[in-house]
Amino acid sequence: MGTVRVYLKASGAVAAGVLVVVLAGTTLARAGTTPGLLNATVKGTAQTPVGVLPHAFLELATYPDSLAGEHGPDGGSKPDWVSYGPTTNLSAPAHSLVTITIKQYDSGGTITNPYFASVHGTVDGTMTINGQTATASKVDAIGHTFTIHAMPTNQDPLFVSVPLRALPDNAKPAPGSSYPVPNVVTFSFVTGGPGEYVWNCEYPCGDGTYANFGGPMSARGYMSGTFTVA
Amino acid sequence: MTQTEPVTAQIRMWWQRVEIKRIVWIWLGITVVLAIFALIVPARVMGSPASPTMRAVESTMTIFSVAAAPVMALVLSVAVYSLTGWRSRGSEPPIGDGPPIRGSGRVTATWMVVSSVLTMFVLIWGLGEMQSLSAEASAPNAMVVNVTGQQWVWTFSYPQNGNVESDQLYLPVNRPVVFHVTSKDVIHSFWVVEMGIKVDANPGEVTKTGVVPDTLGTFVVRCAELCGLLHAHMETQAHVVSSTDFAAWITAQESRAS
Amino acid sequence: MRRLNVVTAVAGGLGLALPGWAIARHFLEENDFGPDQVTVITMVCWAIGFMTGIGAFNGPIGWLRGHDLTPEDELFLAGKDQGIRRYFRFTTDHKVVGIQYLALTMVLFGVGGTMAMLIRTNLISPNSNFLSPQEYNAIVGLHGLIMIIATIIMVTGPFGNFIMPMMIGARDMAFPRLNALSLWLIVAAVPVLLSATFLGGIPTGWVGYAPLADQAPPGMDAYMMTIIIFAISSAVAGANITTTVLTMRARGMTWNRTPIFVYGVVASVGLAIPAFPMFMASQVMLGLDRTMGGRFYVASGGGSPWLYANLFWLMGHPEVYVILIPAMAALMELTAVFSRKPLFSFNTAVLGIVGISVLSVMVWAHHMYASGWAPNLNGAFMLTTEMISIPTGMLFLVILGTIWRGRIWTRLPMMATYAMLWNFIIGGITGLYLSDVPLDYALHGSMFVTAHFHYTLMGAGLTGAIGALAFWFPKMTGRMLNERFGFISFWLVQIGFNVTFIGMFAVGLAGQPRRVFTYNNLLATGNFVSTIGAYAIGIGMLFLMYAVISSWRHGSLAPSNPWGSKTLEWTVPNPIPLENFTVLPVVTSDAYGYGEEPFEPIEGPTRRDELEPAHVGSAADEQSTEGARP
Repeated sequence: MGTVRVYLKASGAVAAGVLVVVLAGTTLARAGTTPGLLNATVKGTAQTPVGVLPHAFLELATYPDSLAGEHGPDGGSKPDWVSYGPTTNLSAPAHSLVTITIKQYDSGGTITNPYFASVHGTVDGTMTINGQTATASKVDAIGHTFTIHAMPTNQDPLFVSVPLRALPDNAKPAPGSSYPVPNVVTFSFVTGGPGEYVWNCEYPCGDGTYANFGGPMSARGYMSGTFTVA
Repeated sequence: MTQTEPVTAQIRMWWQRVEIKRIVWIWLGITVVLAIFALIVPARVMGSPASPTMRAVESTMTIFSVAAAPVMALVLSVAVYSLTGWRSRGSEPPIGDGPPIRGSGRVTATWMVVSSVLTMFVLIWGLGEMQSLSAEASAPNAMVVNVTGQQWVWTFSYPQNGNVESDQLYLPVNRPVVFHVTSKDVIHSFWVVEMGIKVDANPGEVTKTGVVPDTLGTFVVRCAELCGLLHAHMETQAHVVSSTDFAAWITAQESRAS
Repeated sequence: MRRLNVVTAVAGGLGLALPGWAIARHFLEENDFGPDQVTVITMVCWAIGFMTGIGAFNGPIGWLRGHDLTPEDELFLAGKDQGIRRYFRFTTDHKVVGIQYLALTMVLFGVGGTMAMLIRTNLISPNSNFLSPQEYNAIVGLHGLIMIIATIIMVTGPFGNFIMPMMIGARDMAFPRLNALSLWLIVAAVPVLLSATFLGGIPTGWVGYAPLADQAPPGMDAYMMTIIIFAISSAVAGANITTTVLTMRARGMTWNRTPIFVYGVVASVGLAIPAFPMFMASQVMLGLDRTMGGRFYVASGGGSPWLYANLFWLMGHPEVYVILIPAMAALMELTAVFSRKPLFSFNTAVLGIVGISVLSVMVWAHHMYASGWAPNLNGAFMLTTEMISIPTGMLFLVILGTIWRGRIWTRLPMMATYAMLWNFIIGGITGLYLSDVPLDYALHGSMFVTAHFHYTLMGAGLTGAIGALAFWFPKMTGRMLNERFGFISFWLVQIGFNVTFIGMFAVGLAGQPRRVFTYNNLLATGNFVSTIGAYAIGIGMLFLMYAVISSWRHGSLAPSNPWGSKTLEWTVPNPIPLENFTVLPVVTSDAYGYGEEPFEPIEGPTRRDELEPAHVGSAADEQSTEGARP
């Protein structure tokens, strides 16, 4: 067999192998359903301790199951997992004041690390819960937290953590909805330069798993997501 | 046998043989290159040390690398020479065997002695280092910082400073500090990279490590034990500031908490 | 029995697993541990069904019923007159099992290697967003475990089974049916392991640390069952190999005349026999934690996470020598042949292997210096760990002494020895850094550790296995391995390997933790360089796979002893008769008489790169090249 043919056959086999690996990679990369991106809506400007900045708004909710939000009305593969909605991929503009409103529909309990029962990283260290200003929630009535953090070495540091008060266990559904009347928490913080951050809930609500941090707590799309500052 | 034969048979001592001389030259050359590499590269890649601990780590790295240079050079010089001086050329099979050297008591004994001496050196150096570093960690007036690892955030509290809590580590310069580390859930590992200290955070246990930060600046604290989804993002900053700045920070944190 | 093969095995596995799953789901789903209990029950059903379907239990059940196997049954089981179909059955002939192990190893390396390519692609830049963190963590863990299993079996499986019995002048192994059992257990375990991808993956890396493992999704149960099945397989294989070597060496083969490769294989399984049951125990306890509310590893329930770490590393450290020793022993064996010299100081080689084995069970807590478990013992473990460098150094002495003033024939097997010398000296020295406690505090859990163990397990271990493959390929397949592509593969893999892992040493020194799906921007260059090197390794390994498969099919026919080696396996003709030796040999000297006995011309191949016989379609081409012949 000529030398050229020999090399061609070998290269063909190697190329086929590379193709298999590439196929495996692209299948895997596409397989994980990426939830849609929720961009903060910018409306006007606001006065902040660092000057006048654009004002962006995000509206989120925490549910006791996955029937609302990004997993569809049947809740996807884990309908009974607690989840954030409408999606867990969030984005906000850089150098802005970001105001997030979270409707908390879930019950809760005592938090394991009292640090996360206090508000951290917001503009004046406060949040608004059902219209009242507060700097912390009671440690024995936390439903979830919203905690943004990331590698500080790749972007401007950003650490925001807000406790979300739990509803009572026996709260009844509100008329016209399958969920009770929520606790509404609002807070604002200032973003720095562009960067990729992550957020997750720091109240262990993955019931039935060790330290209650398994299940939805360890899954993107439920109690963990991304926060991109662009 | 006449009187002269034993003399002529022995006229070349082992160190006079051509191959030995060539191998020694190759060995010298490789040792020099590796020693230069060892003196420059590892410490530079590890970055600027921020504590005496890290300084000791970097100097150990350098010393061990320099000590390893002649060992690696020995292996490589024999291997390299064998490919030029002893090779059977071409892809044809060799047309004879090599000399039937079954072993050499002297060579084996020398090798054992040298490797034991090197091992002893490394061991004694390490034990000495451990001794001096543990003295640092248990200094009597050390400030205590409680470190809590939780999936996937570090939090710190200062029991001797009004139980102030923070997600970033603030330390006064030149003051010994002891970290009491624990976890709320799975095993994490508290690693202050530029200070060269690390200890695991275990649920239900408190582990300790200590250091004296002697450089002002901002450094990085990472988690060094895979702890689940966002292990890669379990990172925060360590700020080493002057004592006055530290006191000011404590006061500011206390007033915010109240 | 005569109709059982891998297809009936899969059918048996599914046939028991699916009903088992349905029934378990019906009764168990509602309770707290439901998903894990259902998963475990399904996998146990799969394993039992698979082994029943392949016919593993036929022998014992027949014996219990008083109908032991007849001689015709035994010859059938040994694969007589079955052609290629015997490779898909529960065949007991050690040569068939060796080939099956080789194929299994290649498949495992293919899957694990693909995962490595995906890992490095994800790390090509910070925030590449190629894989989600959950997928990345799962792939890192599965890559690790698949490679660990592959490297454990890669020398002992194919060559310990095919070559070793012939090397000691035996007709088969002591327990041929156990031999087939050990192989098919691993085949049964592979789908169990890969099913983790559909069960949420594993979040823990290959070490499976509790209590993160307690928290993990049902993919962790797949990991657990894989280990339990694999531990049974390795215990069985270990019993088989040690009994064979202890009792079935040819007449006159004293321990002084036993080839060093045999020592290597025996030491490896001798370490595996105490070590893997520790791993199995750790997994059984994890199973109890996950399926029945056990609290072995949960501090709040009275358990301790340090329990898992100790059990794991009591296995984990000897296990790396289980991987390394046979590869080094194979390289020592072939270095003597390709230097045309006796092995330098055979006694030192044996002492080195024994020294490593004994010390390796006394060093485990060097993986736990930073864990806080027993800081007062750190010094003691530093001592034992640093002492291991002495017997390891002895192996270097033996190889360098064997090369010394030899007539070096630089064919592909010998090049593996040179690659090992380079890679293992780097791996060994970086291991010394990690053994120093204060240095380890800085380096533990960083990419430096990853680079160190890849240099030893892959740079020395896998390289040794490739050398062994190139060396024994003519005897196992009857054809010569194409060296043109062998060398292309060799250089791509070795250069790519060094680029990849030197880059990794650098980012580890600079502070990158291990098992992270993204990293600090400052480390981007090092990671990029590592990724490019990894792609080179991947392409090189594909060339090797091509070389192996095409040589197997159309390589030039090999003479009976192409390398001029003096060990017994080369005295059997190709194709190898079913029972190896018509007359069992009597051994009067060891196999290293180069330069002492009269030189016999080596009938080896002259050209490096024949891909096909000189005349396509000739009678020589039609001959089957190995395997059962009456």
